Amino acid sequence: MSGPAEPGTAPRISDATGDRFPGFNVLDQVSHWDPVTAGLVLSRVGRPPDIRFFSPAEEAAATALCDRLLGQGGEPKVAVVPHIDARLTEQETDGWRYADMPEDRQAWRESLRFLDEDSRAACSREFARASAEDQRAVIQAVQDLGAKDWHGLCAAHVWSLWTRYACTAFYAHPSAWNEIGFPGPAYPRGYKNPGVDAREPYEVADARPSADPLDGKGR
Amino acid sequence: MAAVRERNESAWLLPNDGSRTNHRLREDMRRFADSDLVDLVVVGCGAGGSTLLQRLARRGWQVVGLDAGPFWDPDADWVSDEAGSHHLYWTEPRVISGTDPVPMGSNNSGRGVGGSMVHYAGYTPRFHPSDFATWTNDGVGADWPISYRDLRPYYEDIEQELPVAGEDWPWGDPHSYPQRPHPVGGNGEIFLRGAYASGITAKVGPVAISNGRFGNRPHCIYRGFCLQGCKVNAKASPLITHIPDALAHGAEIRANSMVTGIGFDERTGRATGVHYIRGGVPRFQRAAVVAVAGYSIETPRLLLNSASRRFPDGMCNDFDQVGRYLMVQGAPQTAGRFAAEVRMYKSPPPEVSSEQFYETDPGKPYQRGFSIQTVSPLPITWAEHMAAQGHWGADLRRYMSDYVHWSCLGALCEFLAQPGNRVTLAEEKDRYGLPVANFSYSQCDNDKQLVRAAQDVMEQILHAAGADEVITIDRYAHLVGGARMASDERHGVVDGNCRSFAVPNLYITDGSVLPTQGAANPALTIMAVAARGAAHLTAGGR
Ligand SMILES: Cc1cc2nc3c(=O)[nH]c(=O)nc-3n(C[C@H](O)[C@H](O)[C@H](O)COP(=O)(O)OP(=O)(O)OC[C@H]3O[C@@H](n4cnc5c(N)ncnc54)[C@H](O)[C@@H]3O)c2cc1C
Ligand code: SF4
Repeated sequence: MSGPAEPGTAPRISDATGDRFPGFNVLDQVSHWDPVTAGLVLSRVGRPPDIRFFSPAEEAAATALCDRLLGQGGEPKVAVVPHIDARLTEQETDGWRYADMPEDRQAWRESLRFLDEDSRAACSREFARASAEDQRAVIQAVQDLGAKDWHGLCAAHVWSLWTRYACTAFYAHPSAWNEIGFPGPAYPRGYKNPGVDAREPYEVADARPSADPLDGKGR
Repeated sequence: MAAVRERNESAWLLPNDGSRTNHRLREDMRRFADSDLVDLVVVGCGAGGSTLLQRLARRGWQVVGLDAGPFWDPDADWVSDEAGSHHLYWTEPRVISGTDPVPMGSNNSGRGVGGSMVHYAGYTPRFHPSDFATWTNDGVGADWPISYRDLRPYYEDIEQELPVAGEDWPWGDPHSYPQRPHPVGGNGEIFLRGAYASGITAKVGPVAISNGRFGNRPHCIYRGFCLQGCKVNAKASPLITHIPDALAHGAEIRANSMVTGIGFDERTGRATGVHYIRGGVPRFQRAAVVAVAGYSIETPRLLLNSASRRFPDGMCNDFDQVGRYLMVQGAPQTAGRFAAEVRMYKSPPPEVSSEQFYETDPGKPYQRGFSIQTVSPLPITWAEHMAAQGHWGADLRRYMSDYVHWSCLGALCEFLAQPGNRVTLAEEKDRYGLPVANFSYSQCDNDKQLVRAAQDVMEQILHAAGADEVITIDRYAHLVGGARMASDERHGVVDGNCRSFAVPNLYITDGSVLPTQGAANPALTIMAVAARGAAHLTAGGR
C-alpha cells in the first residue's frame, strides 16, 4: 500500500469470478488521485454508514436480497445495504419513478415485505432465514414475471429498482473494481496508453482472457 | 483563434495555474437587487441560457441568470467517480408514464450552472439541412420556421467557441472543424476497424473537447469521466465556455435559485419578471424581458405552473401546445466481446461517429434514420446494462469481470415528434409545493423500426471488427421539444426567433424549442438557436 493517506485495503471479495486480475489493487494508486476523489473513494472502504431507514426485518431481507443479486456469499464481502439505506434516508433517488410505482422508499419497504410473504409461502420462513437456494428461487420467480403483476406492482419495475440500487452500491467499491480490472479514478494523471491491448504500467492483464461468460467457459 | 477571443474571452478568463475556477471573477461579479428592473432575466444557465446571457452581456444588456443548482467549482465539487457524481443530475422527483416510459435523472438532465452540458458526453454534430423540413420532404415530424441556412453562421461561431475537434465532415452540409481530430482509444479503434471492414464510413469526432491548449484550458487527459463532469476543463460546457465572458461583461449569475413562476401583468399582457426561491425565501426579480431555458421538462412545467386569469391552463398555452411534441432519441447500445482487451474506459466516451444512415433511405420501409457513435459506459452503468439483460448473482459478476473485453456502440434514432408525448402536471408536489412533471412517452411504429435497423448495423460493425458475441440493450438519449417553435401559435409556442407567440417579452431559448431532433446530439444546435435568438433580441426585438 502506498500513498500518504495510508488508505484502508480493498479486500478480494469472496469469489464469484476467479481472480482474473491477480495482484491488481486500485488503492495502490491513491496517491495519484485528487484529494476530493480520494476522500470519497476511501470513505467506501471505511466503516459503512449506520442503518437509519430500514427496520431490522427490512435490513435482513435487503441484505439477503442484495447478497443473492450480487452473488455475494461468504466474507469478505462489499457491504451494499448500508449504502442503499443511506440513499433512502437522504432521499437520493435517481430522479424519477415509474408512474405505476410508489416512491422509492415505499417501494423498497413494500417489496421487501412481499419477499417475506413469498418466502413464507414457499418454505415457511422469512426471506432472510430461507436457504440461499430458496432465496434464489423466490427472486427468480419475480424476474420470470417480466412486466406482469407482483403483489400489485409491475415486477419488471421492481426488478429495475432493486438492481439499480444494488449495482450502484457494489460497483462503486474498489474491491469490485479490482475484480473487473478497472482502475477507478484517473484525475489528474489520466491515461497515457489507450488502445486495444494497451495497458498502463499499473493495469494488470486479464489472466483468463478466454473466460467469455457468454459461452459458459468462465463458469 | 484570435477572432474567437475577441468575441468570447471565456477560455482566457480561466486560471492557468492548474486550478479550474476563476474565483476572483465570481467574487467581483456584479449584483443586482430584486427591485432593479434588469433588461433580461434568464431561467436556467445551461446550454441555451448561458449562450443567451453571454451574447447579451457583451452587448451591454443588464442580465441576470438564475439557476436552481449550484455554481460549480470543478476542483471542489466534482469527483473522478461514477456514484459520487449523483449531485450533477436533476434528481427532483418526476413521474414517467406512457407505453414506453423514459427514465430520467442521470440519463437526461443536469442542474447547476453549465446545465446538462456539465455531464453531457461532448458530441457536437450539426443537424442536417433535411432536419428543418421533414414534413415537406418525408411526410413526418414538422417543418421548422427557420432553415439550416439561418443557423449555419451560428453553428460556425459556436464550433469555434467550444471548440470542436474532428475530421472533415462529409455528411449533411459538409464542413470542417476548428481543431484536428483526437487520437482514439480502444473503443474508437474497434469502431473504425469494423466500419472499414463492412464498408461503412466512420469519422473521428465531432467532440467539444479541446485537442491541445485553448486559452487557459488544458488538453484532454483521456480519463474517460466526461459524463461525470470534466475536472480538467478540457470538455466544453457553458460553465467554462460562456459564463466567464458573461461575468466579465457585467452579467450576474444567481445560483441555487429555483424559479417557481413567471410574473405576468394582466393589463399589459407582458411578463414582469420571475418568482424564485433562494435559501427558502420567496423572491421576485423584475425584468424587462424574461427568457426561459430550463430544458424540455422544466420549461414546460414552469409555463404550466405559471397560470393566471389570462392563461388559465398555463402561460402561452392558449392552444394546448405547451409540453407537447417532446422527443427522445432511441439509443440502443450494442456491445461486442473481443478476445483482446479494449478497456473502453480509457479515452472520452465520445470518439468516433457515423452519419451514413442519418437520412431517409427510399429503399427502407421507415422514414428518417439514425447515427452511430462510440459510447463507453463506466462500471456502474455497464452493470445496470448487464442487469437489464437479466443477469444477476454469480452470473452478473462473471459478466462484469469480463468488462475490459467489451466494446460498446450506441445509436441515436430519430424518434418522431408526436403530440401525445408530453409533459403534464402530476398530483405529486416537490418540496417547494409545486406540482412535479409527468412525462408520458410512447413510441410509434417508425421509431421501433429504426431501433431494429440501427441494432443490425451496430452488430454488423462489431462482428466485422472481430467480436465473437454481441448483445444489445434498449435505451433512450437526449430530450428536445416540449415548447416548440412553429410558424404560428396553433402549432407551437415560440416563433423562429424564440419569442413566444402569446407574451411579446417572453422568450424560450433551450432545447424545448426544437421541432425535430434529427439523429444528432442536440447541444450544439441548442446553443446555435439561442445565439440566433440573442441576435434577434439585440437587433431590437425587445
Ligand atoms: C448523460 C448525457 C449525455 C449527453 N450527451 C450529449 C452529447 O454528447 N452531445 C449533446 O449535444 N448533448 C448531449 N446531452 C444533452 C445535452 O446536454 C442537452 O441537450 C443540453 O444541455 C440541453 O440544453 P438546455 O439549455 O435546453 O438545458 P440544460 O443544459 O439542461 O440547462 C437547463 C438548466 O436550467 C436549470 N433549471 C431548470 N429549471 C429551473 C428552474 N425552474 N429554476 C431555475 N433553474 C432551472 C437547470 O438547473 C439547468 O442548469 C447529454 C445529456 C446527458 C444527460
Ligand atoms: S476524457 Fe478528456 S474531456 Fe473527458 S473528462 Fe477526461 S479530460 Fe475531460
